[in-house]
Amino acid sequence: MVSPPTPNPKTGVQKQVWITDIAAVTSLGSNFEELWQGLLSARTGIKPFSRFSTDSYGSDVAACITGLSPHDGQSMIHGLLDLLFTERVSVPSDALLITATTKAGIDNLERLRRGTGGDPQDILPFGIRDNVSRRLGLKGKGFNISAACASSTIAVAQAAALISQGREKVVVVCCLDLITEFVFSGFSSLKILSPHPCRPFDRERNGLSLGEGAVLLVLMDKDEACRNRRAHLGTVLGWGIANDAGHIISPARDGRGLEQAIRQAIEKAGLQEDQISAINAHGTGTTYNDLMELRAFRKVFGKKNIPVYSVKGSIGHTMGAAGGIEVALGIKTLLEQTAPPTVGFVRPEKGAEGLVSPYPVAISGDYLLTTNSGFGGINAAIILEKGGGM
Amino acid sequence: MNALITGIGWVTVKDMGCGRDHNSFAMEAGQLPEILRKSIFDTPYQRFRKMDRYSRLGLAAVAFALKDAGLDEWTEKRNIGIIACSVYGCLGTDIDYFDTVIPEGGLSASPSLFSYTLPNCFLGEAAVSFGLTGASFVINEKPLSGLVSIRMALEAIVCGESGKMLCGICDLGCPPQLGGIDNEVPGALFFMIEEASKKNLRPYGRIGMMNGGDTIQFDGIQIESLEMLAQECLRNYVTVHGLQLSVHS
Repeated sequence: MVSPPTPNPKTGVQKQVWITDIAAVTSLGSNFEELWQGLLSARTGIKPFSRFSTDSYGSDVAACITGLSPHDGQSMIHGLLDLLFTERVSVPSDALLITATTKAGIDNLERLRRGTGGDPQDILPFGIRDNVSRRLGLKGKGFNISAACASSTIAVAQAAALISQGREKVVVVCCLDLITEFVFSGFSSLKILSPHPCRPFDRERNGLSLGEGAVLLVLMDKDEACRNRRAHLGTVLGWGIANDAGHIISPARDGRGLEQAIRQAIEKAGLQEDQISAINAHGTGTTYNDLMELRAFRKVFGKKNIPVYSVKGSIGHTMGAAGGIEVALGIKTLLEQTAPPTVGFVRPEKGAEGLVSPYPVAISGDYLLTTNSGFGGINAAIILEKGGGM
Repeated sequence: MNALITGIGWVTVKDMGCGRDHNSFAMEAGQLPEILRKSIFDTPYQRFRKMDRYSRLGLAAVAFALKDAGLDEWTEKRNIGIIACSVYGCLGTDIDYFDTVIPEGGLSASPSLFSYTLPNCFLGEAAVSFGLTGASFVINEKPLSGLVSIRMALEAIVCGESGKMLCGICDLGCPPQLGGIDNEVPGALFFMIEEASKKNLRPYGRIGMMNGGDTIQFDGIQIESLEMLAQECLRNYVTVHGLQLSVHS
């Protein structure tokens, strides 16, 4: 007879949540190792591109994936999945699938409205869900989480919540978004696109750079992972989600929503603030986002200088995929005990002194905080614990 | 694991309002009523004019659910979360936005429309309007049952993330410009779920998960859809208060 899991009275967590598999494709490479090596070399995938005319927009640079184009009238999102699935991942057929994307196959909508084709059935995220389910041989269908640029952070948090409560044994989280004229024109109209590759936490930053990418994460109940001899890349230890309740586009200046999410995540992880050894920040490079984050970090961590980095100067802001990609990179950061450089960062914004570096930084510790924030006033934070190895 | 349903709010083809003001509920195909600022707020609300149809729909149903639970008035922000399920989300607004991009090669792209091209933006509007600082996100699912929003809300309560959660559905159906997609029944329906209820407010009943989360029960009845849940809530309330019952089933 199996006893029901006993919740940790401090955290409410009943089961440990391991991350066992990672696959990723970004502008820095077609697999996760290329992405990591590119980051450590301080490379950037942000450059001029020709997918559509940028003559009317405030920027002509973005971190596009080479060779990605529509084929057979389908959304490019399926081409992105082709690239993602060059890395073989096996999961049990009863695994739950959670996808995370903000605009899914919105390129189909562009073509439909221009009268140049496009599949109306393939605009919404359900085409992605069906595609991934088919590739992985999953029996169930799953669902998509949409929460702007925190979509995949929340998808990972919900996956972890379901496993930790014993509701699911395996959850596949697939996060992805494309650079399309739809999103590029929109960010341009809001005047938050940087004309040059973005410069997170730099005093002279002037906006974000868009990127595209996809990541697949497999989250497993520890017992299930051990039974199946899966790798222990890292543990999702805590999570928190909070809304600013201030404005739907601008972040709260005082960082209160992000602070609430971080405090929740630390409490659920059962940690003290001083146990966090590095922070993957959202770090978009917009004036207000970066200031808001620095304020929230200082409120939670006080004067302690914990290494903070942003990968958006390298791979751009991958929107709904950002949180998932950054969870994967957080896992690697802990395994390698090295925080990647913040590309584009030269002169620190007030408050970033001693926190952010343009060079790789050696870290020492087992716990990392990763955060994302987005439109709708949403903030999400995840605490990762170092795993046993890749 | 269980909690109390303390408020219901909706906008459907048939009507809109708070659960306690009605004795029947049904979701039907057809044209949704126009949602005016006065339908939701007693006083002028500048932001309402800017909102897209999808946000107005969701905000109205959330506002009614909060009012029904006696939680619409506030002075300090509260840790109340919102989880909404949708099929089409803000697809109609996406079309309206991209139609401003096409004519002048992007020069006339509308920032105000772009601001509403994410399905979770109405949750932000609700958070701003009612000071809700809990988790807020949209789940895209097809077919639309909305039960996953109940499951996640209950998980959030049992994990101690929030003592109060709003959950439900919000959908305008397929935009007419994309006639190729099959139609869903439009409308929004939200439930206020609380760990504990106010002493002066009798809840509709108790909701919980059984069989490891596979089954949702309301006062011992297995729930198959949110429409059924709303009907059962009203049936309970009406029975206790001795009112005339007229629930569509």
